[in-house]
Amino acid sequence: MNGLAVLSKAMFQERKDIILSILGGFIAGIAGVALFSASGYMISQTVFAPPLYTLILLTSMVKLLGLLRAASRYGERLYSHQATFSMLSRLRTSFFAKLIPLTPGILNKNRSGDLLARIVGDVESLQNYFLRVAYPPIMVVMVFLATVLFTSAISFWIAVLFILGMLVTAFVVPGIVLLGQRKINGRVREQRALLSTEVTEVLYGFRDLKVYGQLAQREGQLQQASAVLAAEQQRAAGHLLRGQSMHALVTFLISWGVLALGAYLIMDGALAGVFLAMLIMASLTVFEEAAAMATLPAYKEDSEHAAKRLTETVQSTEVLSPQRGGVLPVDHAISIELSGVTFQYEGEWRPALRDISLHISPGSKTAIVGASGSGKSTIIELLLKLRAPTAGDIRLSGLSVNELDETSIWQAANVVLQQSHFFRGTIRDNLLLDGEEHSDDQLSEVLTKVQLPDKSLTDMVYEKGENLSDGEKQRLALARAMLRKGRLWLLDEPTSSLDYVTEQHVLKQLYAQAAKDTLILICHRLAGLEEMDRIVVIDQGKVVETGSYWELMEQKGYFYEMKNIERQMIGEVAHI
Amino acid sequence: MKRNRKSGLISGQMSSQRKNMTLLAVISLALGAAIVSQAGLLAEAVQRVFVERASFSSVIVLLGLLLVVMVVRTLLSYGNGKIGLRMAAAAKTNMRAAVLQNLTHATMPSTLRGQTGGKVSIALDAVDEADSYFSQYMPRMMEAAMIPILILVVTFILHANTGFIMLFTAPFIPLFMILVGLKTKNKSEEKYAQLAEFSGTFLDSLQGLVTLKIFGRAHRQQQEIERSSLGYRDATMGILKIAFTNTFMLESIVMLSIGIVALELAIQLLVFKSMTFHTAFFVLLLVPEFYSLLKNTGTAFHSGRTSMGAVRKVEGMLQETTGESRDTNGNEGAGTSDGIKSEIFHPDDLSRLPSIELDNLRFRYAPDSFELETGRISLGPGEHIAIVGKSGSGKTTLLHLIAGLLKPASGTVLVNGIPLSQYDETAWFQQVSYITQHPYIFAGTLADNIAIGAGGNITRAEIERAAEEAGLAALTAQLEHGLDTIVGEGGRGLSGGEKQRLALARAFLKRPLLILFDEPTVGLDLHTERVLQRSIAKLAKTATMITVAHRLYTIQQADKILFMDNGVLVDSGRHNELLERLPQYAEMVDVQRKGGLSS
Repeated sequence: MNGLAVLSKAMFQERKDIILSILGGFIAGIAGVALFSASGYMISQTVFAPPLYTLILLTSMVKLLGLLRAASRYGERLYSHQATFSMLSRLRTSFFAKLIPLTPGILNKNRSGDLLARIVGDVESLQNYFLRVAYPPIMVVMVFLATVLFTSAISFWIAVLFILGMLVTAFVVPGIVLLGQRKINGRVREQRALLSTEVTEVLYGFRDLKVYGQLAQREGQLQQASAVLAAEQQRAAGHLLRGQSMHALVTFLISWGVLALGAYLIMDGALAGVFLAMLIMASLTVFEEAAAMATLPAYKEDSEHAAKRLTETVQSTEVLSPQRGGVLPVDHAISIELSGVTFQYEGEWRPALRDISLHISPGSKTAIVGASGSGKSTIIELLLKLRAPTAGDIRLSGLSVNELDETSIWQAANVVLQQSHFFRGTIRDNLLLDGEEHSDDQLSEVLTKVQLPDKSLTDMVYEKGENLSDGEKQRLALARAMLRKGRLWLLDEPTSSLDYVTEQHVLKQLYAQAAKDTLILICHRLAGLEEMDRIVVIDQGKVVETGSYWELMEQKGYFYEMKNIERQMIGEVAHI
Repeated sequence: MKRNRKSGLISGQMSSQRKNMTLLAVISLALGAAIVSQAGLLAEAVQRVFVERASFSSVIVLLGLLLVVMVVRTLLSYGNGKIGLRMAAAAKTNMRAAVLQNLTHATMPSTLRGQTGGKVSIALDAVDEADSYFSQYMPRMMEAAMIPILILVVTFILHANTGFIMLFTAPFIPLFMILVGLKTKNKSEEKYAQLAEFSGTFLDSLQGLVTLKIFGRAHRQQQEIERSSLGYRDATMGILKIAFTNTFMLESIVMLSIGIVALELAIQLLVFKSMTFHTAFFVLLLVPEFYSLLKNTGTAFHSGRTSMGAVRKVEGMLQETTGESRDTNGNEGAGTSDGIKSEIFHPDDLSRLPSIELDNLRFRYAPDSFELETGRISLGPGEHIAIVGKSGSGKTTLLHLIAGLLKPASGTVLVNGIPLSQYDETAWFQQVSYITQHPYIFAGTLADNIAIGAGGNITRAEIERAAEEAGLAALTAQLEHGLDTIVGEGGRGLSGGEKQRLALARAFLKRPLLILFDEPTVGLDLHTERVLQRSIAKLAKTATMITVAHRLYTIQQADKILFMDNGVLVDSGRHNELLERLPQYAEMVDVQRKGGLSS
């Protein structure tokens, strides 16, 4: 679904606030025009020396109009902002709903952080669409039409002039500005992204660049990119400025036209002279309402760009196969069968997994080991149906993953991902993510099992678990998994930040609970693997060895050598 | 390095743009004149047409003149805008130049302190935010300083009473603007935490979406997002309401002032008959211009303040590192700063394997961090040195000090008996290779990435040989474009092991006299491990090598082991010597082995 369509829907849902703000804006606009027209008219009237009370009446009216204008402006601002923020909430929820089925599919391996931040930013720039893009033309047209209606009672031709002015300011000038806008803005964005990437690169590579004596050259490149960016930005701003000046000139020309036409009509006897000052005042004021039109092109381009990107993001992987209704039974341990599974991340040049075939019998304990980047974690994502294999078939308890409903797999699995996410809230909130009922005693018991007896259930966890150490996060994630009742354990380096002793304590508890379940443990530390039924060694997406710890050590193959290297490790590898 | 106490950066920019400022002032004055003339001509035309009932042809000149004034007025404000943009572009380029120079000339401590994201944001976002100070605030302020006064003077000449009304009401406008600013600022600071909490939920939920899905809570989180977004709305509306109320007051004042002016004019016209229609209408046209200029000033003031905040961020960053960079200059320069003329040593002095002496180095990153201390120790030419210690004990810092990437607070690194600071930096680094755990891969071809390791005049054959020696041949054979494959940002991704081998290839091409090597801790594939051991041994034959060691093998082979504990170089010696006399060392090596073998 289109980004702007989502937006229109949100706008429609906030119609009450929108109508109120349009009403407020309209009254304010009209009151302004009336106020200045009235003062022009009043001054003209003095030439005829009218009785004083008419004047007092007029001036009181002017003041009342002034107050009315200020008050309805207040209302306009209040309701329009209220509507904007409500729309933001709707936009966020609807895009979140759209992203649920697409994650993690849309997350490229490297740039997921950028993508998420971009989605947040784009949704936020969409919220401006109503206030800065959709709203101003409505206002201009309404206030102008009211003014035209009023002036047409005085002079047909002047009314025509107003209509002309409205068309030019509301459509022609913004149209002209928009024409060049897109291209220029595209260039600015490109140049900015380029500079940003280059600055980041230099900062990350600072040490190497310095040693290679490349810093001076790099600085030259950066300075040049920066100068180009400033020049492009100046061009873009200059373009907008030209639009604004054009807008100002048109308003002057219309006022001038009112004067010239009015003078001609008065000479001609078609218009009473007393209205001239009033009409001029009206023409000067009515364009004040159109001031927001001058910034419209910039916002329009921005929010449309955001909408386009959001649409692309949301649509990029809509080829996901529909969920089948198959349910994974959890009354017994689950067997896993991978046959010829290959997986390649989008945009990567080589597959993360190549032709993997594995049979994991129910109730067995398997460790998957290999260098970082060898494709271990991808296996877990495939088992959880978070991603679909490029080729090959995966079966859980004999049922093809394609046929299974993804939620039934998730319910059957106790998962610890490499990067567990924690939310703002208490420890209890974070433990009870799945919404199941557990007594506080149970929760405390689990905390003790994962060697976190000091944590209280009411302790606060900050966003992304910022106030927890890596080790604490891992233990909490383990606790979270241990509270579930699944029969399949999928653990991706669940203890990599724990010291050896704690790791062994925690794993012992976990193995006790998982005694009858199928368990897959991904690890890059090779200690403690003696207890596993089988070890699968992966290198560059391929299975190079499988067997029990002793078998593999006997073979003196890949695993044996890895083990030897690990024995050599000293210092920070494992803080004992 | 002169720096004003207050916003030196802006005043610096301003003084360099004095010409533009003068131009702004002149144009603003002319713009004021145009505004007044426009009102005058309009009033005159209406007077003639309406009051004097002159013929159309008699006002044609007037109309023509008015048209010219209107066009001139537009051009003048366009001109002011243009100058503003020009100033902004120049200021941004200069500021960014200063930031970029600062970043590229930074010493290691400031880059190690991390926060890469924050620095990129300063170089881009903060500098861009400074834009409106020059493009909006300055022109508007200049206009506000000239035009309202001009209008006021004209009004006083035309009709003093109106002038008094304007003079009396005008101060309320900036006053209210400031009040709005202050009140909303206080209120928003008060609610800041709340607002941050609300606005963070969306990103937080997106980041945790996978976890949420697996735990079957994604749809419940949707409601949470709605709740927090609405909470954000309500909190923000609370702040905005205050701002809107103040604006309401402000507009009421403007409107009432205009009403009072109109009433006063009418009374003058009608009761006292002391005024012509022309004057009255003239004044009536000028008054709104006056107030709208003042209102614009308020808006410009607001954006100016935001910009100032951004400029302060840039300044803060520049100042933070000024001391350090001056220090670097003093050390690197030809001794001009301390008045002693010292010789710069050239590559010829570095043609043999270097011996290195550490003479009581002391260093500390920040006042609250531990201090590094080396005592006095010498490392012979061609020796292989291992630095060993727990994580956080200062191993990498010591390596940086030896490399000259960090300047010691006191003490000297002597290379071949000459202080390192007296060598030409470029010449020194030409003899050094630093192989880190996370080598820097830039966007470019594999060949370019390898060639960065050496100066110019590298043949293709040499690059190929280096790649081969570093065990990259198998990889390049797989690639369609071989060594010309684009890697890095936007190119093909390399695995950790491949990056490591690329770093080795750079060293093979460079054939340095000094190798600094941060041994990888985890996660390399076996192939890379083997290549690494073989290649490092080969490279080390013709070089002095200093390794931050994580492998027992490396330290057993080392000619000398430097044992670091909590920043202090505790002892040095061969493996067996240290095992005997240094219990901490023995414990570290031993416990590790136990852990590795385990139960």
